[in-house]
Amino acid sequence: MLAINDIVKTYGSGRTRVTALDHVSFSLDAGRLLAVLGPSGSGKTTLISIIAGLLTPTSGEVVIDGHPVHLRSSAEAARFRRETIGIVFQEHHLVSYLTARDNLLLVPHLSGRITRDDRVRADELLESFGLGDRVSHRPALLSGGERQRVAIARALMNTPAIMLVDEPTASLDTERGFQVVKMLKEQVHERGMTCVMVTHDLRMAEHADERLMLRDGRVFTE
Amino acid sequence: MFAIKELFGSKLKFSLIALAIGLVVSLTMVTSAMSEGLLTGMSGAKSRLDADALVFQRDTYPTIERSILSADDLDAIAQAAGIAEVYGMGHTYASVGSVDEPFDVRVFGLGGRMDQLPILEGRVASEPGEAVLDATAELDGIGIGDEITLTPMDATLTVVGFTEGRRYVMVPTIWVDLKTWEELHLATLLGVGDDGEKADEMTAERMEEQFAGSASVAAIDFEPGAGVEDVQRELGDAFRVAGIQDAADAGNGMPEMILAVNGIQGVSVVIGALLVGVFFYITTLHKTSQIAAIKAIGASNAYLYRDLILQITMLVAVATVVGTLLALGAGVGMPPMMAFDPDPRRWAVAVLAIFGTAYIGSLFSLRSILKIDPATALGRTSA
Repeated sequence: MLAINDIVKTYGSGRTRVTALDHVSFSLDAGRLLAVLGPSGSGKTTLISIIAGLLTPTSGEVVIDGHPVHLRSSAEAARFRRETIGIVFQEHHLVSYLTARDNLLLVPHLSGRITRDDRVRADELLESFGLGDRVSHRPALLSGGERQRVAIARALMNTPAIMLVDEPTASLDTERGFQVVKMLKEQVHERGMTCVMVTHDLRMAEHADERLMLRDGRVFTE
Repeated sequence: MFAIKELFGSKLKFSLIALAIGLVVSLTMVTSAMSEGLLTGMSGAKSRLDADALVFQRDTYPTIERSILSADDLDAIAQAAGIAEVYGMGHTYASVGSVDEPFDVRVFGLGGRMDQLPILEGRVASEPGEAVLDATAELDGIGIGDEITLTPMDATLTVVGFTEGRRYVMVPTIWVDLKTWEELHLATLLGVGDDGEKADEMTAERMEEQFAGSASVAAIDFEPGAGVEDVQRELGDAFRVAGIQDAADAGNGMPEMILAVNGIQGVSVVIGALLVGVFFYITTLHKTSQIAAIKAIGASNAYLYRDLILQITMLVAVATVVGTLLALGAGVGMPPMMAFDPDPRRWAVAVLAIFGTAYIGSLFSLRSILKIDPATALGRTSA
């Protein structure tokens, strides 16, 4: 379960001070997909960056499975992301010189070494995303939808408790976008993860289990 | 593993970087070999002498050309404590006049250890009147078995062998036994008058007697535990003792030349290091968004720096092989008179310096890796 307790995030100071998140609170059960909606500059990206441990909130706390997250160093934050978080970026951010399989294996490689089980898991994940015949392809040889599916599979490699997805359909056409969100929802339900998906597209948000609207850094409606 | 995959995934880019670094390695090695060749050409006759030190006549160090030791001096040196073995070494100027284009040489006489000269062709001189020449004399048309005439002493020597790496002040050397040298030296001193007449008999006899058993310097080996300072103390002010390398590195503009040579090599290594540092810095800058994403999914700075070090090590290793082959190829293609003397020790030092400075250069990349904010992978552009 993910709980966001009264998070405030401000940038700058004095006259240049900007409040990106203003006392944001919500909770999300395991196995649920939350769509965070809002216009540009509403604080969506800041919110998932804080959950991912990429930013430190000015006040408030992130609680995962009843444990508040306190990250004291960049190394500790990196380990937290390796072990607890799965991230899907807007621009897929696959490593261009690695094959689809190696992009997945990069995740266990960051933790130390790649085991035989990791290889089996990577192939199974790609297979489950309909990419069984694309394991040895580099990103340049994959379509936009295939790249995004590889990116989701990569985010699942470490069996994360929390999955964070940033505008996963931004670079896809509507049909492919629906497919990706549907697949994401299936995975969240199947694996019992907690997933926060940022999107500006209401049609995609309709597929989520829950929705949260941000405006000027505040929860607008639920 | 993935660092290596990146190298193979961008073959053209990294091949060009390896080639560029290879050219720098090659430049460093070629300048090193040419420098070494230059230094050997200037003082190979002294630096490669089989002895621990040279003993000069008082106030003549480091000019071997001005030093002269009598037979009594050589005996006194031989008796001194701390000296295990002594042999005389003579030096005189001459020109080889029996060829189409006469050329200058330096004649060295050895009072022992004639077999210390590495023979490339022919044999060691074993009789008075026989000579071993530095191989560069072959370029002037001299061959084994030739009778060469030295001027101005009008003496004839028989060429029995060629040696290498024994030039002096960039001219070929002629190596004879000390007795032959003594005659040549005396003939040089006596000279030939304008009318073609040699010195009168009385003067010749007096000088013959004076220089009998003499040498320019004494080549000595120390007894175990003894050194230059010990022997100098023992011999007093009448002589000057200098280690072989010190003697070779002194005089004839050698200190200035060594400084210039070291400067050239230092600059080559620094340029190489900057090049490696800049290459990887630019490569890191090009990968900023990728590095941010990898950091966002959990890569530590240490992981990324380790990858960078692995890539640098592999590229510099490949560049070293390429550079060495290029340098050896350049050496083969160089004209024989060009000073080129590859020294594996100096090359190893140059390679180590390139590796070391490449790692130092990688700190620029480390700085940029540390500065990359993983939050930018999620689209955040300001803190």
